[in-house]
Amino acid sequence: MMYFPQRLVIEKEVGDSPLVKRILATSPGLPVDWVDRVPENADGENGSFLEIVKFRGRFIKPCPGTRFYNCCGYQILNLGIQCSLGCTYCILQAYFTSPNVRLFANLDDAIQQLTEHLNDSPDHIHRIGTGEFTDSLLLDPLIHLSEHLVPFFAAQPRAILELKTKTAQVDLLEKMDHRGQTIVAWSLNPSEVIAREEAGAATLEERLGAAKRCQGWGYRVAFHFDPLLAYPGWRKGYQEVVERLFSAVDPGGIVWISLGTLRFMPTLKTVIQQRYPNTSILDEEFVPGLDGKLRYFRDLRVEMYAYLNELLLGIHKDLCIYLCMESDDVWREAFGYTPVERGGLSAMLDRRALSSFVPASI
Amino acid sequence: MLDKESYSIQLDEVDWNDTSCLITYGPLPDKLILSIQTVGLIHKPLLQRKSDGLFRIICGSRRLAVCRQLGLSPLSCEVLSISTSPVTSLRTAIYDNIAQRVLNPVEKSLVLTKMAKHLNQPQLVQEFMPLLDLEPSDTLCSRYVQLLPLEAPILDAIAEGTLHERIGFVLSPLERGDRLAFFNFFQELPFSVSVQEELVETVVEIGQRDNFTPRQILDSAEVNDLRRAHKRPARQRAQQIRKQLQARRTPRLTARQERFARETKDLGLPPGVRLIPPPYFEGPKWSLEFTFAGAEELAIRLRSVARLAEQAKFQRIMERE
Ligand code: SF4
Repeated sequence: MMYFPQRLVIEKEVGDSPLVKRILATSPGLPVDWVDRVPENADGENGSFLEIVKFRGRFIKPCPGTRFYNCCGYQILNLGIQCSLGCTYCILQAYFTSPNVRLFANLDDAIQQLTEHLNDSPDHIHRIGTGEFTDSLLLDPLIHLSEHLVPFFAAQPRAILELKTKTAQVDLLEKMDHRGQTIVAWSLNPSEVIAREEAGAATLEERLGAAKRCQGWGYRVAFHFDPLLAYPGWRKGYQEVVERLFSAVDPGGIVWISLGTLRFMPTLKTVIQQRYPNTSILDEEFVPGLDGKLRYFRDLRVEMYAYLNELLLGIHKDLCIYLCMESDDVWREAFGYTPVERGGLSAMLDRRALSSFVPASI
Repeated sequence: MLDKESYSIQLDEVDWNDTSCLITYGPLPDKLILSIQTVGLIHKPLLQRKSDGLFRIICGSRRLAVCRQLGLSPLSCEVLSISTSPVTSLRTAIYDNIAQRVLNPVEKSLVLTKMAKHLNQPQLVQEFMPLLDLEPSDTLCSRYVQLLPLEAPILDAIAEGTLHERIGFVLSPLERGDRLAFFNFFQELPFSVSVQEELVETVVEIGQRDNFTPRQILDSAEVNDLRRAHKRPARQRAQQIRKQLQARRTPRLTARQERFARETKDLGLPPGVRLIPPPYFEGPKWSLEFTFAGAEELAIRLRSVARLAEQAKFQRIMERE
C-alpha cells in the first residue's frame, strides 16, 4: 500500500533540500506546515503527517549487534524513522512514540558523512543499509531518494547499499546505473502471515514480482526470512514461500538470504498486545535471550533454521544463508558449522558482496 | 481561604447520593464509632450547600455515616457556599484526608479519577500523584484510574490490603467473570504478588493461544483437581498449580527441563553435586554446584565428577543442550 501523508510538516531549514523540492513537486496540493523545529512527539492522527527535518546526529552507525550473538558487521545509514506499513511485530513501535514518519532531508550532510566514513577505512568492505529504522523504499515514489543513493554507491568500489523493503515500489530503480553496488532485498513470509501480520505491506506475489523485475535490471537481490514466525502449519507455509521464490527469481542472482526468528525487547510485548489484541504472534513460548530480548525457545529456533536451510539449499546449493543474531551453538546445531569456521560472519558476507559484483556495463 | 459558616444540619438534609467529593472507601473504623459513641462528634464535618436545598459532603463522610448509624441528628457542621467551585470542593476533600491518614489504593484511584474531570493529565500527575505517595507517571496514573470499575469484592480486598493493587491493574483489562475467577483463585491459595501477576499473564496467554477464557482454565478439571486436594497443604497445592500452568504455557521448555532432569539422574552424579544448565538452556554458562563438609570430601567429589565428565552420556548432555 503506497504511503501517502495527509500533511507535511517541514522544518524551514531544509526547505531548499532536493528531497523537499521533490515531494512538493510530486504532491502538489498537500497541506504544508512550515516550522522552525518539529518537536520530538509531534501530533498527527494515526501517523498521517510526514515530518521532514534536519538530522543533527551521525547518519552512519554500526548495526546494534550484541556481544552474545554473531553480528554480521552491517552498517546503518539512517535517513528516516518510522514506517506506515503497520507490521504487528514491528520493533519501531517500541522505539518511537510518534507514529509519524520522519525524513531527514539534509541529504548533503548524510552523503558527506558517508564519504568521510568510507574514506576513513578504504580497505574495508562496507555493507550499508537504510532499512533499519524505516522501510528503505517506503518514501521512494514521493522523494526519489534512490536517485541520490544508487548513483553514489555505484561510484564506491568497496561499498554496497542494501535497500530492504516490504514494498514493491521499485519503478525508479529501472533506469539507474547501479553498477552492481546496490542490492535490493525483501523480507519474506507466507501469504497468510503477510495478510495477518504485515497487512499494510505488499503481498508475497508483489514482492517477488518486484524482485524479478530488479533482477531483470541487473540488480542482485537478497531475501530476509525475518521474522520467521512459528504458527500451526509454518513448515508448509515457508515451503510454499521458498517454492514461489525460486519460481520467480534466479537463485544465482541472490546475494544472501538471512534467517531470524521473531525476537523483541520485553517492552514491545505490551505494545503489541494493546495495538493488536487479535494477533497470534505472541502465542508461542518466549524466553529471554542473552541480550535480554524475548525469543522462541532455542530448540524451536534451531528447528526452524535447519528446516529453512535444508529447503533453500535443496533448491540451490550455492546460496549464502546466514543467521541474524544467533549464537555459535545455534549455528552449529542448525547449519552444522559456526561462522568462525568460515572466517567469521562479516567476512563471509563481505566475500559474497565482492564475489558477485556485476560488471559496470550492465 | 474557604468561605464557610457553621450551621446545625439535620441528617436528612444531607445528599447521601452526591458522591462527587467522596474519596473514602472501606468499612467504618470501629474506633471512630466508639469515639463518636463515647464523646460525640469532636470535629465538624464540612458540607456544601446545593441549589436543590440539600448539602453535599465535602469532608467527614465517615463521621457523618457513623452519626447516621447512631441516629445523631441534628449536627453542627461547617458549610461552604454554593459558589465554591467543584474543583475547590474536591481539592479540599482530598487535602483534608491526606493530612490525616494514608489513603488506600482504592481511595487513590478515587482521587485521581475524580480530579481527572477537572485537571489536565500533566497537572493531575504532577500535583496529585506525589501527594498520594505515587511516582508521577502517566502510565501509573491510568492504572490507578482503571481500578475503580473493578467489582466490589475485588475493590474491598484491595482497600483492605488482602489483594495488592498491582493485581487489580492486571485484572482490569479482563472480563468481569475472568476477574472474579482470578480473585477467588487468589483468595483460596497463597501466592506472592509477583507470582499472582505471573499467573494472570500465563493463564491469559494460554487462553489466547488455545481459545479458552481464563475462567475456563481456572475451572478446568486439571486445575480443579489440585485446587480441591484439600489434604495437601495450601502452599504445596499452589506450587503444583503454578507448575502445571507454566508447563502448559511453555511446553517446549518444560519438556527440555524434564529431559534434562532425567538425563542428569541417569548420569548418577555424586551426592552434594548439582549440574546447572545455562538459563533456558541457552549459552555456554554451565555450572556445577558442590556441597561438601571438608577438603577431603571435596576432593572425592571432584574426582568422581571428573570421571563422569569423560563419559559419553555426560558429553551428550552438554552437546545437546
Ligand atoms: S515494514 Fe519494517 S519498518 Fe515497516 S512496519 Fe513492517 S517491520 Fe516495521
